[in-house]
Amino acid sequence: MKTLRPQIMAWVIAAVLALLAAPYLLPPYQLRLVTEAVIFSLYAVSYNLLLGYAGLLSFGHAMFFGVGAFTTAVALNQIGGLSIMAAVGLATLATLLVGLVVGLLLLRVKGTPFALLTLAFNALFFAIGVKWHTVTGGDDGLNIALPKLNLGLAVLDPGNGPDIYYLTLIILGGALLFCWRFTRTAMGHSVLLLRENEERMRFLGYNTNITRLILFVFTGALAGLAGSFYTILNSFVSLDAVSIDMTTKVLLMTFLGGTGTFLGPVLGSFFYTYVQDFLSNLTDNWPLIMGVIFIVMVMFAPGGLSGLGQTLAARLARAKTTP
Amino acid sequence: MGILRVTDLKKDFSGLKVLTGVEFEVGQREKVAIIGPNGAGKTTLFNIISGKFPPSSGEVAFKGENINALAPHARARRGMSRSFQITNLFQKLSVLDNVLAGVRSRRGLRHHLLREPLRDHELVGEAERILERVGLLGFRDTLVQELAYGQQRALELGVTLALKPDLILLDEPTAGMSRQETEEATNMIKRVTQDIACVIIEHDMNVVFSLADRIAVLHYGVILACDAPEAIRCDQRVKDAYLGEEGA
Repeated sequence: MKTLRPQIMAWVIAAVLALLAAPYLLPPYQLRLVTEAVIFSLYAVSYNLLLGYAGLLSFGHAMFFGVGAFTTAVALNQIGGLSIMAAVGLATLATLLVGLVVGLLLLRVKGTPFALLTLAFNALFFAIGVKWHTVTGGDDGLNIALPKLNLGLAVLDPGNGPDIYYLTLIILGGALLFCWRFTRTAMGHSVLLLRENEERMRFLGYNTNITRLILFVFTGALAGLAGSFYTILNSFVSLDAVSIDMTTKVLLMTFLGGTGTFLGPVLGSFFYTYVQDFLSNLTDNWPLIMGVIFIVMVMFAPGGLSGLGQTLAARLARAKTTP
Repeated sequence: MGILRVTDLKKDFSGLKVLTGVEFEVGQREKVAIIGPNGAGKTTLFNIISGKFPPSSGEVAFKGENINALAPHARARRGMSRSFQITNLFQKLSVLDNVLAGVRSRRGLRHHLLREPLRDHELVGEAERILERVGLLGFRDTLVQELAYGQQRALELGVTLALKPDLILLDEPTAGMSRQETEEATNMIKRVTQDIACVIIEHDMNVVFSLADRIAVLHYGVILACDAPEAIRCDQRVKDAYLGEEGA
């Protein structure tokens, strides 16, 4: 994992300023796309902490996203007077608990069995969503009436594009910053050790089961937080949120952006969101084209967009220094 | 009382008896070398002592405590550290990160969600002092995979030392080294393990006789003899079984 260099930092600052100014520059539909991309950025970054940093391939990340999404909808529909932020808090707590229970069950499973069991758990949660019709709405999904959020100095209307955009940007942007900091902490370093050599870790005094459990719970809660905002953005939640498709989506975003850097999945989320939007306006067969893009990227640019950017930057730097 | 006591240790893998009643003791700050032909069970013995797998029967006691049921991480936290015959490091991380992994663990900063190790001068300082002792301070930021073989072996020792252990298990620390590298490595091991008890597996008899206070000869799963180097050199049973005329 690379650390951020000054030039990249400058790009990050420029991107943050552009994001802050987005509601004044973009039409409502485009602003909605950016909001969705920010939500998926947190979802993909949380996934990359598992895959890119710890080397744990999971096919069940959508169960956390879906639990966060459905808990938000159910809480807002069932608990009268509940504020949006309280619903977000409940959703995050619920995914944290799900992460703890599933994580404990998967504690001693590694490699392919781990990947397959996460897939099985995802399928289990999807089945619960289908069968528990009275709570989840089944195939019909759940509509929600979003209450306004009173912040004292201002009242935010989550149905209003700029309001939900800024709320998402602040909360999920904060979560992304927390993830960035996480990678630099002792726990973040231990996650890297896990990927590199779990056996040696154990002989150095690390209980690697604890490391894996903390990471699983942490990344699950982050995905749940992203799912919660996904529900708020759409004022609706369907089984799509907990489906295998949603896991595939995060895999694509992460690989397209690149697993080798922290910002790769953010890039991948924006790329996926915009390309999907563009392609789906052209043809109903857009998943086919997206699949081809994915195959091409994996074969010819395994480092993803971020890896491609790094390679290009290195070549430019070499070209500048070579007379 | 010794720091490590192995009593009637037996291990069989699906009926194949590898260890058939190993017994020996290591005193405080004592260096004990375990020698024996390939397949004698030396690495199996190390794996059982360090907790990689349990014995079929018998007891491993560390600082007076039976540690048979303890996982490797729990043994490491009690002050037992091991190196590996085949270099077993964090290849894609820097030399500093490798040693910091041990330093952090010893200080209980394994899963801390706030402390940033690379910004902690105390942690980095301690890791740098260890790197200086094993001659790798100049390679602090180099990725392990870019180090020469001899340097990786030195780092293996550095990572082992990062736990500030009371007992080190060194599994063929000079394996694959040239004569000069072996000599340098032996001197380094002597220097950095002065106050630490060691159990060393080694095939190079020059290294063994240079480092060990006592030598245990493992032969067909049992300790054939365990004595001072000179006594071992003259022991007829050891000559017949392992040393021959070469070590004599």
